[in-house]
Amino acid sequence: MSVSSARTRIGRIELANPVLLASGPAGYGLEYAGLVDLGRLGGVVTKTITFQPRGGNPGRRLQETSGGLLNSIGLENVGAARFFAEKLPALLKAGITPVVSLAAEDWDDFLRLLEAAARQEEVGIVELNLSCPNVAHGGLAVGANPDLLARYVRQAKETLGARPVIAKLTPNVADITVLALAAERAGADAITAINTVLGMDIDISCSRPVFKRVRAGLSGPAIMPIALDAVWRVAGSVKIPVLASGGITSVADAVKFFMAGAAAVQIGTAVFYDPSLPAAIVDWLEEHGLPAPIR
Amino acid sequence: MAATQPGLFTARIIRTVRLSQLCRMVVFERPPGFPDAAPGQFIALRVTGTISPLLRRPYSIMDMRAGELELLVKVVGTGSGLIADAPTGSAMEIAGPLGGTSFPAPGDRPAVLAAGGAGLAPLIFAARTWRRAGHAGRIELVYGSECDDELPAMLCGDDFSAVHRATIDGSCGYCGDAVQLLETLLAGGNLGSGILYSCGPRGMVRALQRRAAAGFKRHFTSLEAVMACGVGACRGCAVPLLGPDGPPFAAVCSDGTVFDAAAIDWEGWDE
Repeated sequence: MSVSSARTRIGRIELANPVLLASGPAGYGLEYAGLVDLGRLGGVVTKTITFQPRGGNPGRRLQETSGGLLNSIGLENVGAARFFAEKLPALLKAGITPVVSLAAEDWDDFLRLLEAAARQEEVGIVELNLSCPNVAHGGLAVGANPDLLARYVRQAKETLGARPVIAKLTPNVADITVLALAAERAGADAITAINTVLGMDIDISCSRPVFKRVRAGLSGPAIMPIALDAVWRVAGSVKIPVLASGGITSVADAVKFFMAGAAAVQIGTAVFYDPSLPAAIVDWLEEHGLPAPIR
Repeated sequence: MAATQPGLFTARIIRTVRLSQLCRMVVFERPPGFPDAAPGQFIALRVTGTISPLLRRPYSIMDMRAGELELLVKVVGTGSGLIADAPTGSAMEIAGPLGGTSFPAPGDRPAVLAAGGAGLAPLIFAARTWRRAGHAGRIELVYGSECDDELPAMLCGDDFSAVHRATIDGSCGYCGDAVQLLETLLAGGNLGSGILYSCGPRGMVRALQRRAAAGFKRHFTSLEAVMACGVGACRGCAVPLLGPDGPPFAAVCSDGTVFDAAAIDWEGWDE
């Protein structure tokens, strides 16, 4: 089969293939030049951008766990102005399809950010990160509440016009399908499931939590079954495409997500472990075709 | 330094030399096409073919010569233990060379290299690189360790004009840590107005900057940090810098590993 038959449509935009780098680990994409075969990706979901630059969280930001990685980065990013002036043009110049991840501290901040994004012709697909566990404002408090989530999605659709909007959902709720349905009803063009799973760790040598914010986000293969369950249930609940994210660490993992109903896969923590994985998944899809959902 | 693009390579272990109870010199065959590296740059080793450990392990390059790539591995946990115990012939995947900065040469000033633990590696690479480039000036090494047994003495060869050793238990050289020894040497008036180069545990480098840096013209340090991506993307190895402009954090992996120690917000960098 040809790669073209594995194309993925999100709203009005078609990706060359359904394999993307996930927001956060992906940085602004080009950092991985030489390590990740960027030209073979369907797209890069950028580091989450906020209106103002953010320095991120003080203290320790990473802790490896059994099969996973806890992070408390705190959405460090260069801010919207520098992102649109430098990072986004560089990605486009390299021929990479960007998915711009956005987050805000509060409603007014969100409006400012949307307006700034709407002024940029280069902005295509947007992913709303309303589910970061590592920030004091605008993270889980919004993303875990279906009414607030819907309000943010509706506003994004209104301000961004024809640009496709993806809602990235948190697994840290009782029923993720409630969030997915709320986002779909609010006009989201696609869902990304899942963001990181809340966790913590304790430094026994000094009897205190490893992270200053205590709770952090767990990613990596340890959360893959949680993500697979979420994608299976969300894909069974909504009609819009579901992008799978969460612990995909092998080609077989990716195949499972397609079988669970995902339209695309996002590779995050696994690029630390194996930068060649995204291209290996594309290779597999080119040879075997997109696995059909098994439902 | 050259802004060489890193790559992914498979490298075989040619030999592993036991330097002390905890330290090994692990020598890899330099993979074809592996770019030249500068002192302060590092590689990220995928230790096994499995997901345990998940993260690659960053190691400073201790030397590159005659088709070889040398690392100094101090056994501190699972990942380093697996590398230290890997048999000759083992193949590991390495990403590199990583790191956006390197130790600048000392020019006509005396160089004092202060190392703690495995922090010796990039300083050895620096001294050897400068000597190979014809640098004939003074290069002195100050090395601190817990005990005599921890000192990889065989590494401290002809490249150094003098080697000053400190051990916490007093079993070799000065009784105390590397910072105390450096303070003592400075008080003796022999090391002044040179350039200080350091690498070691964060507490040691912080103390060097607070208590000894005033005796030197500059202080460059190669920082150690827990890393994930190694290329500046994930922002996991953030170090706070002094100054009002922009986000206050730099990435140790890509903005360093070598920094001007005076630019770092040591008070704000805790774990």
